[in-house]
Amino acid sequence: MIPYLGRRLLAVASVLVAVAAVTFTIFYVLPSDPAAAACGKSCSVERLAAIRAHMGLDQPLWRQFADFVTGIFTGRTMGSGRYALHCAFPCLGYSYENSEAVWDLLMDRLPVSASLALGAAVLWLVLGLGAGVTAALRKDTLTDRALMTGAVAAASLPVYFTSMMLIYGLVRTAGLLAYPQYVPLTGDPVRWASNLLLPWLALAVLYAAMYARQSRSSMIETMAEPYIRTARAKGLPRRTVVVKHGLRAGMTPVLTLFGMDLGGLLAGAVITESIFGLPGIGRLFYGALSTGDQPVILGVTLLAAAFIVVANLAVDLLYAVVDPRVRY
Amino acid sequence: MTTAPAAAPAETPSGSGPWRLARAELRRRTSVKVSLAVVALFLLMAAGAPLLSSLGGHAPDAFDKTAVDPYLGGRPLGPLGGVSPRHWLGVEPVTGRDLFARVVHGAQVSLLIALTATAIVVAVGTAAGIAAGYFGGRTDAVLSRLMDLTMSFPSLIFMIAMLSVARDVNRIVLMTAVIGLFGWPGIARVVRGQTLSLKHREYVDAARLAGAGPWRVLTRAVLPGVTGPVIAYTTLLVPGMIATEAALSYLGVGVRPPTPSWGQMIAESVAFYDTDPMYFVIPSTCLFLTVLAFTLLGDALRDVLDPRSARA
Amino acid sequence: MNKRTGTTLAAVTAAAIALGSAGCSGDQQPAGGKNPAAVHEGEAIGGTPQKGGTLTVLSNQDFTHLDPARSWVMNDMDFGTRLLYRTLVTYKAAPGKQGSQLTPDLATDLGTPSADARTWTFHLKPGVKYEDGSPVTAQDVKYNVERSFSPDLPGGADYAARYLAGAEGYRGPAEGKHLDSVRTPDDRTIVFALRKPFAEFPYATVMPTFAPVPQAQDKGPQYDNRPFSSGPYKIESYARGKKLVLVRNEHWSPATDDVRKAYPDRLVVVMGLKANQIDDRLTASRGADASAVSWGALRPESGAKVLPDAEVRKRLIAESTNCTDMVQMHTGRAPFDDVRVRRAVQYALDRDAVLTASGGPAFNDLSTAYMPASLFGGKQPDTLGIPVTGDAEKAKQLLREAGKPDGLATRMTVSTGDKGRAEAIQQSLAEAGIKVTIETVDPSAFYATIGDTGNRTDLVYTGWCPDYPSGSTFLPFVFDGRFIKEKGNSGNHSLFRDDATMKRMDEIAAMTDTGEAARAWQQLDGEILAKAPAVPVLVRRWPLVLGSNIAGAYGHTSFGGQLDYATAGLKDPAKSRD
Repeated sequence: MIPYLGRRLLAVASVLVAVAAVTFTIFYVLPSDPAAAACGKSCSVERLAAIRAHMGLDQPLWRQFADFVTGIFTGRTMGSGRYALHCAFPCLGYSYENSEAVWDLLMDRLPVSASLALGAAVLWLVLGLGAGVTAALRKDTLTDRALMTGAVAAASLPVYFTSMMLIYGLVRTAGLLAYPQYVPLTGDPVRWASNLLLPWLALAVLYAAMYARQSRSSMIETMAEPYIRTARAKGLPRRTVVVKHGLRAGMTPVLTLFGMDLGGLLAGAVITESIFGLPGIGRLFYGALSTGDQPVILGVTLLAAAFIVVANLAVDLLYAVVDPRVRY
Repeated sequence: MTTAPAAAPAETPSGSGPWRLARAELRRRTSVKVSLAVVALFLLMAAGAPLLSSLGGHAPDAFDKTAVDPYLGGRPLGPLGGVSPRHWLGVEPVTGRDLFARVVHGAQVSLLIALTATAIVVAVGTAAGIAAGYFGGRTDAVLSRLMDLTMSFPSLIFMIAMLSVARDVNRIVLMTAVIGLFGWPGIARVVRGQTLSLKHREYVDAARLAGAGPWRVLTRAVLPGVTGPVIAYTTLLVPGMIATEAALSYLGVGVRPPTPSWGQMIAESVAFYDTDPMYFVIPSTCLFLTVLAFTLLGDALRDVLDPRSARA
Repeated sequence: MNKRTGTTLAAVTAAAIALGSAGCSGDQQPAGGKNPAAVHEGEAIGGTPQKGGTLTVLSNQDFTHLDPARSWVMNDMDFGTRLLYRTLVTYKAAPGKQGSQLTPDLATDLGTPSADARTWTFHLKPGVKYEDGSPVTAQDVKYNVERSFSPDLPGGADYAARYLAGAEGYRGPAEGKHLDSVRTPDDRTIVFALRKPFAEFPYATVMPTFAPVPQAQDKGPQYDNRPFSSGPYKIESYARGKKLVLVRNEHWSPATDDVRKAYPDRLVVVMGLKANQIDDRLTASRGADASAVSWGALRPESGAKVLPDAEVRKRLIAESTNCTDMVQMHTGRAPFDDVRVRRAVQYALDRDAVLTASGGPAFNDLSTAYMPASLFGGKQPDTLGIPVTGDAEKAKQLLREAGKPDGLATRMTVSTGDKGRAEAIQQSLAEAGIKVTIETVDPSAFYATIGDTGNRTDLVYTGWCPDYPSGSTFLPFVFDGRFIKEKGNSGNHSLFRDDATMKRMDEIAAMTDTGEAARAWQQLDGEILAKAPAVPVLVRRWPLVLGSNIAGAYGHTSFGGQLDYATAGLKDPAKSRD
């Protein structure tokens, strides 16, 4: 187990370095000039050069990258004289736009995206697995068909459409919910939940449909396994067989899917947050992109990649817990 | 990957037998017939876009100021977003451009991007999967690491980033390439698994022993064996590609104006969802129907061609 | 200054002539020809506010800069100078034309010039304090002026750099050097020595560059996140891109300030919302939203919801931004070096279509001249008499005369937010045989892209706003060939270099009679228009829907039509909520 974990963590680190290198290359080689953008209107050539030097853009690319990577672990000092900023571990640099430490910006926005992702995940798991398992246990009945038709239709609905219909129905017409506006969980849990319910629902509709389809087929397959038949032949109650034996093995593929989706949700947040106007990681990324704020772009990309690889790792480790057949 | 198949179809489709069986099975299903009809309809629409829009009498980028009310933020005049004999599906608010012309031209762009990107993904993915599975060893190790790496990339974020920094290029080509770039590992894994299981089948061994070179073995013995799952998987890829094009266009990094695509139309129409619902509903419906049709078709194909991995 | 094409302006609107005189397509012009969006022009709505409560500002974005040395966007300057810091001189807090009049703020008067207007002396009022109770000194004003030269703090107005003597090569106070041309004989006196005579210097001192920053509080680039208050409010918390909370600065003395009313107890700016959802919330004005205002202008597509509703219209303000949108043509190379080709574009362009794409006549006014109507005493002249929908035949004829009977193909750079307007231009020029390819560029990169004169496209869609009501802040910036720069070019994107024009500009600049100068600028505007370096298209308004509990609200004419935060407050503070 320990050597396996060590190998995997090494792989995680190397993936992150690769992601950083690629992002770096894309943004620092392509013809966008953050110094010119910061310099603004009526910018003289000397002033532009001074700004470039301040941003470290006058260094060769490899140098900038090396500074960036070592800076993550050791921290680094940026600028000089009175205005020098010391950026401590984990240093991802400073935003060109507002001079905040990128790490602080990420940590400030993460609760928004995490609230969005986790709330939606709870909803879709309950709805999706509920529908999927129900359909599997009543295979080929009317219930099964109705659920699966609903699922395939819901999975095909564009998320923009679902979102706007939810806003129209629940906010504009019925006035049941407020327009989404993030309130921290610690500040007011009731408003936190009620303000996020719309985006949760919009995401949950899409994902629940996919999970219903996945868990149904996986359940059907598991219930046909010989050991399930043995268990039933032993006279165990159906409920026990389904819950203790069927669900446990049948949910393994769903777990994989869940790990991938949850990891990718941070990256996908850019769409949901943009539809509902939530100040999360996705919005941060989109804003940084439109202002050419490269340190922030790099930071978000790394964080998103880290979520994906860590989620995958977590899923693989969870296998051992959920599925007794898996050993490392 | 959940769709990694553990075993190959019982028979390899060497003769026409199994394929005929598959066709018969598919023909029995209503959902297949309906989805095929929908897909065919949209493909025809895309292919005949210039013809269709000239039938309607409007170019997709021709303004019609008489169809909108400038005093109300350019809301279309008349009911249902300006549906009239002149504009069959109404007009776009503000510009008065003909929605029918735009939606058929949009089909062209959206489907072109989605299908071409799928083709790239399938070609690259299949090649990589077969190579990794068949040659094994170092090739497998390198390709598998590459797949892991690509799958660890926050792909949507990268696509947005790459599209937003690129200038002076053909947007459609760029979008296709960028979408394709991140899609191949999924199918490569499926094919790799399939190839591994085929590799030591008797008929493959036989071909090898008979002195066939690797190229011949791959194309004559292995490739046909993976065709079934690949077809099914491909069909299920298309909806994702269409959705990705829409997502990128929604975020404003898609095709350039005045070129329409469904994603671009949805993105622009979201702001009008309550003042001009028709404008919003039309491209959304097209997107919905296409995605639904490809999903149903893919489900059916997988049931028939790749029964072992009949999952979500 | 440049019209800021930021995401801000993506949404925007604004303009100059009354609707009745602007050309209108469509057959349902409102009765009386009065623009329904502009009925509150020149008046404050909602009556006088009560003290107290929380004023909420709903925004789809963050501030560009709140650091006074770096703030040079109309909205940010309004917010900063009205709430957080005071400048030597400022604009009156009044609706309509009165808003363009100066009034002393930190200073006791509008400044005392020397006989040649090269030296300006200001005295500071006694009793003006920072949020910690310490007094505002002349040295602090000087220190912030110096900060604006620092390469670590880019983005601010460059009037100091343009006019202060001996400022060449100066790189700010961080290196320990100071400007000799700004003297502070005592704590309450500041003297500026200028490079050349500048009679309009008091207007420049309205810029946040001339707000005080005590050296002890200066945190370099991070000062942007926590400016030290000398105004009626101070920052309680600021999460960039999420939320800014302002609370009262207890040390601010109303007795020293006749501009800021400071009615609400708190101001909360909620950022990162969706622009259309802000419009819908304010239109509905339910619950806490009744005490809210929008930061950005109303989206053009929301006009269909707002304009037909009499109740909402009562809460709508739409002051002109006074910025003229123009299509500027590269006069330095073929085919636009030929005046006939440029005139063809003037004739081909369907301004009415662009107007519709920009939100329609309620939120924009068509332009028939370069300078906005405010510099023509209220109404632009129409010297060319080109139909508002364009004249494609005349354009084709001009192209034939220019030896281009088959038309031509060209490219136009626009900022992302102007895409709709660009498509309308593209479509109308196509009808005259001019095929335009649109290059959309991100707002952040827009000025850098079009400022690269060698590599940029033939056409650019951009705008210009006068910094203060004088033709000298418009025509020379946009049409003086001596300001053209190879890279980082700004303003004169037509690269227009015309000796007669430049000579006339110098003559007008030397005039001492302001009335005569104003008339001369107006006449010169028409003369340049005939040479066709650019096509004036429209002037946008800045429409804002206010919550029903908002009072004392009007768009300030000198801050691009943005809500004047000096006077806005609540009718009933008890109804507000954080």
